[in-house]
Amino acid sequence: MPLFDSDFLKKLEYLSLVSKRLFRGTLLAQRRTMQLGGGIEFADHRDYTPGDDFRYLDWNLYARHDELLLKRFQEEEDLHVYLLLDCSRSMNFGVPCKFNFARQVTAALAYIALADLDRIAVVAFAEDIIADFPLTRGKGRILALLSFLENLQPQGADTNLARVAGGFVHRNQRRGLAIVVSDLYDPGGFERGLDLLRHHRYEPHIVQIYDRREADPTNMLGDLELYDIETMQGRKVTITEKNLRQYRKLFEAFEQSVQRYGNQYGIGCTRTSTEIPFDELILKMMRAAGAVR
Amino acid sequence: MNFANPMGLIWASLAIPIVIFYILKIRLRRVPVSTILFWRQIFEEKKPRSLWQRLRHLLSLLIQLTFLALLVGALTQPFFSWEIDAARRVVLVIDNSASMNATDVEPSRLARAKELGQRIIDGLRARDDMAIIAAGTQPQVICGLTGHQRTLHEHLTAVPASDGPTRLAESVALAGRLVNDDKGEPKHVQVIVLTDGCAKDFAEITKMDHVQIVGVGRRTGNVGITAFQARRSLLDPIGYEILTEVVNYSDEQVECRFEIDLNGDVIEVVPLKLAANEKWSKVLEKTSASGGLLTARINRDDALVADNRAVALLPHREYQPVLLVSATGDLFLEKVLEAHALVQLSVVRKPPAPSSPPRNGGDKGKDTITVYHHQVPNPLPPGPALVIDPDNGCDLWQVGDKVQNPLVTKQDHDSPLMAHIRLDNVLMPEARQLTFTPAAGKPHVLAAALTGEPLLVALDRPEGKVLILTVNLDKGDLPLRTAFPILVTNTLAWFAGGRGELREALAAGSITEVMLPQPSARQYLLHGPDGQIRKLPPGVARTTIGPLDQCGVWSIVVAAPGADPVQEIACNLANREESDLRPPEALPSLGEEPARAMGFAGRPIWFYLLVAAWLLAGLEWYLYQRRWIS
Repeated sequence: MPLFDSDFLKKLEYLSLVSKRLFRGTLLAQRRTMQLGGGIEFADHRDYTPGDDFRYLDWNLYARHDELLLKRFQEEEDLHVYLLLDCSRSMNFGVPCKFNFARQVTAALAYIALADLDRIAVVAFAEDIIADFPLTRGKGRILALLSFLENLQPQGADTNLARVAGGFVHRNQRRGLAIVVSDLYDPGGFERGLDLLRHHRYEPHIVQIYDRREADPTNMLGDLELYDIETMQGRKVTITEKNLRQYRKLFEAFEQSVQRYGNQYGIGCTRTSTEIPFDELILKMMRAAGAVR
Repeated sequence: MNFANPMGLIWASLAIPIVIFYILKIRLRRVPVSTILFWRQIFEEKKPRSLWQRLRHLLSLLIQLTFLALLVGALTQPFFSWEIDAARRVVLVIDNSASMNATDVEPSRLARAKELGQRIIDGLRARDDMAIIAAGTQPQVICGLTGHQRTLHEHLTAVPASDGPTRLAESVALAGRLVNDDKGEPKHVQVIVLTDGCAKDFAEITKMDHVQIVGVGRRTGNVGITAFQARRSLLDPIGYEILTEVVNYSDEQVECRFEIDLNGDVIEVVPLKLAANEKWSKVLEKTSASGGLLTARINRDDALVADNRAVALLPHREYQPVLLVSATGDLFLEKVLEAHALVQLSVVRKPPAPSSPPRNGGDKGKDTITVYHHQVPNPLPPGPALVIDPDNGCDLWQVGDKVQNPLVTKQDHDSPLMAHIRLDNVLMPEARQLTFTPAAGKPHVLAAALTGEPLLVALDRPEGKVLILTVNLDKGDLPLRTAFPILVTNTLAWFAGGRGELREALAAGSITEVMLPQPSARQYLLHGPDGQIRKLPPGVARTTIGPLDQCGVWSIVVAAPGADPVQEIACNLANREESDLRPPEALPSLGEEPARAMGFAGRPIWFYLLVAAWLLAGLEWYLYQRRWIS
């Protein structure tokens, strides 16, 4: 079954329409800069000074008040949206698979951004950046993006968000919104990578994805051999009810640490289980005002 | 310690596969996880307990082996030698006599005794044996010596209630015979008697060794019918007499009403006002030819129902056609027969023709009794006949010379024909000498003269009974004596067979002998008043039945559907000891229950081993569920 079928595209279109009708440009693109210039939207007046372009004189005002005032317009600038997609093997887990879910979320966010005339780029990473979808603009590029996403495979031995962020921020590119779609299972800690993005004046946003079995493991009592699908490391353990309770506490603490990090630095943070359909997640993000802005 | 079943140790070999399974490394289930970060944190925190982790598996093995050891131990049934020495042999004697049916304790004394007995059984120790004996009516071993408590419980529950008397001393003696082994050692022997003490021999058992009495019942007043008998009058053919006795076995005055009915028709009502311990006794005279079931009742609700009602059977009297054949006529003889209330007398001068034997209408079952006075046809016609002073002989005898002034020196007092008759002081100037022919069979001489001449002879021939009185009634004073009408009455009763005999009402618990008609052809059943049915031995004419342990009417019937009783027997409590519900002073009061022995602590060792095994299994399950062991 293809990852991005016609139903998926229909949902993207729907999300795009909903985003325009409900948020009127407050989601991604059409973000106004404070720079005044050659835009089409009126901002205010200023006194005329010699040398100004006569085309911007407000003749109606001059006729009424006999005063020369120049009309000023706000200049629009498109937003650069960078989608950092975690392709580590830890994402290849759960039902439905976290990796597929992450790709759907990435595609949806990219489509909405393209529909709002923003520029988007997708950076696939695991222990390092493994693939790039270059900065692009226009809804017509969506199929190329979907094809890019579809060809990605889970890989890598150990997620290293700091290394990824280091490589990303040192690129010669405009700053913008950096949406990290990942499970954030970084042995070195996810904070370092996000700190790098912040410090380089990117505006990070976290979309953390987890599977229900990760949050609440069942059927795991007794003598087991646990093996990490990312590092392929095994560990023979005897899991008791007490261990399960400890695990749930640790996982909850991890989730809260992600949320706490977002709150601490004013970073948008969306934590979701794969049980929620991706389109509902996008709507949820839209409703959370300022989640992306 | 010894083992009752040492072969059970073989099961210990199961330890080998258990150990092998533990030695073999069990392949663990592989479970993928997206990251091992969290699990690593959990298990690295527990590093100091790694020794426990290793011991955990050893503990699991030890639990398994201990469980097996406990089960094997239970299978071998271990015991200590002191257990054998301390084992008791207990006999539970339960009184199921009539007084135990009293309801002064709910629901009855017998039920209460059973309840106490069940507790005593529960208190048996592992090596104890117990037997159960019922002490009512006849001592009966209900359950032999066994240590199986469920069997004892079931047998104790099945002890029936009866209306019979108490046989405590006999029961305790039987218990003694039951528990004394070959060595005769009375060690650890105990006889526990559950009784209300309402028995003659209660004082006797209180003095016996190894007897523990457990009292049941309270001091309760009771009014009971202690005697109720009926018999036909010896003088009046249709009259009868009823002997009644009512006793107030209480410590206060009691008023009640005593009623008697015959076949449901009330014939006597006596209001009674009895002082404490007063006995009221009376003989009532009534008349009835029909007979039937006499029932006496006391209209008082007291603790014992069985003695508030008594029954007696009054024999039915049938009318007897009598043909007096007398050429000369005899007024005395005629009047004596007419005076008999049941006689339908006809008088003729000459004997009827042999071709038309006299019969009583269409009633073919009843032969007409022919009385031949002087004249006797030759041969003597069939049917019952009373021959008085025969002038001539017949096929049964030859007439000889006259005997002058015969003195009666021999008289058969045992014969029913001679009941209440004395002929030795009767003046009889003349009699006939008779010589019996072989056709007469064996004549039964009821009265004979000093010279040996028979004066009153009974012949029991197949064609009919014959009684011959050789005395000349016209001479002497026999017709003037009371012996004459009594003789005639006895003769008529003899001709009628046993239909007019006294049928005594038996006391509950009695054993009696009955005659069965046509014994070879039929199977007879004894039906009890409570519906119980007992088979009587087939092919016997006389058999013993009993004990009749229920009050009421017992019936002997042919084993055929709808058959009428061939014989009935009335059975009443009629026992002063059973009616007196006031226990003796020596009886322990209710509530002084026997000290319960060991209860749970008295179980055999294998039981504890089994309990321990189950507890260990539960512990293992608990630990496994929490993964404290594997």
